[in-house]
Amino acid sequence: MTTVERVSDFVEREPLVSKKTLVTVGRILLAVLLLLAWQWGAVAFGSIFFAYPVDVVKRLWELAASGEMFVDIGATMRVSCIGFVLGGVSGALLPFALRRSKRWTEAIEPYILGSQGIPKYALAPWLILWFGIGDTPKLVIVTLMVFYIPFVNVFAGIRGVDQRLVRMARIMGASETRISREVVWNSLLPFVFTSLKVSFPRAVSACIVGEFLVSTEGVGHYIEHARELSDTVGVFAGIVVATTLVLVINALVNSLERRALAWRPVDREMEI
Amino acid sequence: MNVPLLEIRKLAKRFPARQGREPPPWVIQDLSFSVREGEFLTIIGPSGAGKSTLLNMIAQIDVASSGEILFEGNKIGCADPKEMRPGLNRRIGYVTQDDNLLPWRTTIDNVLFPLEVQGRLDDKSRAHAETLIAAVGLKGYEKYYPHELSGGMRKRTTLIRTLVYDPPIILMDEPFGAVDAQTRMQLQEDLLRLWSLGRKTIVFVTHDITEAILLGDRTLVLSRQPARIQSEHAIPIPRPRSVKSFLTLPGFAELYERIRSEVL
Repeated sequence: MTTVERVSDFVEREPLVSKKTLVTVGRILLAVLLLLAWQWGAVAFGSIFFAYPVDVVKRLWELAASGEMFVDIGATMRVSCIGFVLGGVSGALLPFALRRSKRWTEAIEPYILGSQGIPKYALAPWLILWFGIGDTPKLVIVTLMVFYIPFVNVFAGIRGVDQRLVRMARIMGASETRISREVVWNSLLPFVFTSLKVSFPRAVSACIVGEFLVSTEGVGHYIEHARELSDTVGVFAGIVVATTLVLVINALVNSLERRALAWRPVDREMEI
Repeated sequence: MNVPLLEIRKLAKRFPARQGREPPPWVIQDLSFSVREGEFLTIIGPSGAGKSTLLNMIAQIDVASSGEILFEGNKIGCADPKEMRPGLNRRIGYVTQDDNLLPWRTTIDNVLFPLEVQGRLDDKSRAHAETLIAAVGLKGYEKYYPHELSGGMRKRTTLIRTLVYDPPIILMDEPFGAVDAQTRMQLQEDLLRLWSLGRKTIVFVTHDITEAILLGDRTLVLSRQPARIQSEHAIPIPRPRSVKSFLTLPGFAELYERIRSEVL
């Protein structure tokens, strides 16, 4: 007979108030505090520097009702998404290509990492010179802003793939394609998600800043336009929209990650 | 007739020298032995004696510096690492020291992994996998991830993951090295029981004299570096053997004493 550890060892006892409830309560409290601080700011500094929360909510309502908000969101998301895909895919694939040749890696890597130091927004005037004031200059900026995140992460991931797992799979007769798909891909997933989480919000904010510089529509254009008119309520409304966009995207990525990485002992190890 | 399943002839290994350094010493030199079909061979060697290197070369994931490895009478292995066939087309199974289960696969999926990649997953092989899981007491843990299992349970999973695709010979590199004494006994008992069902050919490497005597039909003692066969002992202890009362097994004490005097 084999004695096996009891199942009950794995079941944890429920505390009186669950951690989840505590976290939710904490979040709501923080939100209330933030709103209070905002309101205080408006009262203390005047509505030119701090728009009243109520006015901002009203403005958001108007923008949503007229549909104007969704045109701007659409424009921003279009550029962010395309730029994100371009930068993300090239940044994630380049390490795979470089992996095949150590010499190429050594030759190219310092240039790529060095080019990170170029302030991308400073390229804007030059890009406008080349591409005019359409989506293209913004796309280039977003792509460049996104590129480095998956590049660095996936590179680290590939270097960190457990060679023992690869060897084991080989001994069992797995083909190299199978090994890439099973072992390398799954080992990389945490790195892919980390870079997704960082780079999508980065894409959106890069796009909005790009819109400050050159645009005819988009959330950034709305904010910049409102600033020109000294319409503080409009600026704040734009910021709220931008923040909400990033939060929604983050939530989507998180739920995707939770499903794909269910095997990871993350929650357990994070407990203090 | 009577060709040994595996034969090692004058095998030697030394790792390549780093630039500007003295060439490292020979890890293995002039090592020869053979394994019959259905035999449980154990190899005892001190830590760092090149036991893992030896098994790596047999498993075709490392190249020998000189000498020959014959499988079913045919020479295997070559000088070029890129031409190697790890596991010799699934004919050599290898259970390593560390339990390298795939962390994103559950127990059952880990056990099915070799069948999947070999394209042999069907109802029959799946049922076989489930029988093995039950045989080592892992029933109820099929849907657990490796990090949710104890060290002993992970070892059992690793063991049956190799047994499930039934390679003609299985190499084991101190598979029970990193567990506590009680779990270790349990695992040894599991292994003996599984072996008695199939009588696979096993080459089991260990630094533990007791383990080598308990499990094997025959045991080889390796010398210190460079490793070569220092002595060979048949283990006539009748089976089934009781792991828990090994001290009272007939002939155990004598054999233990004899091997110990050679090692120390």
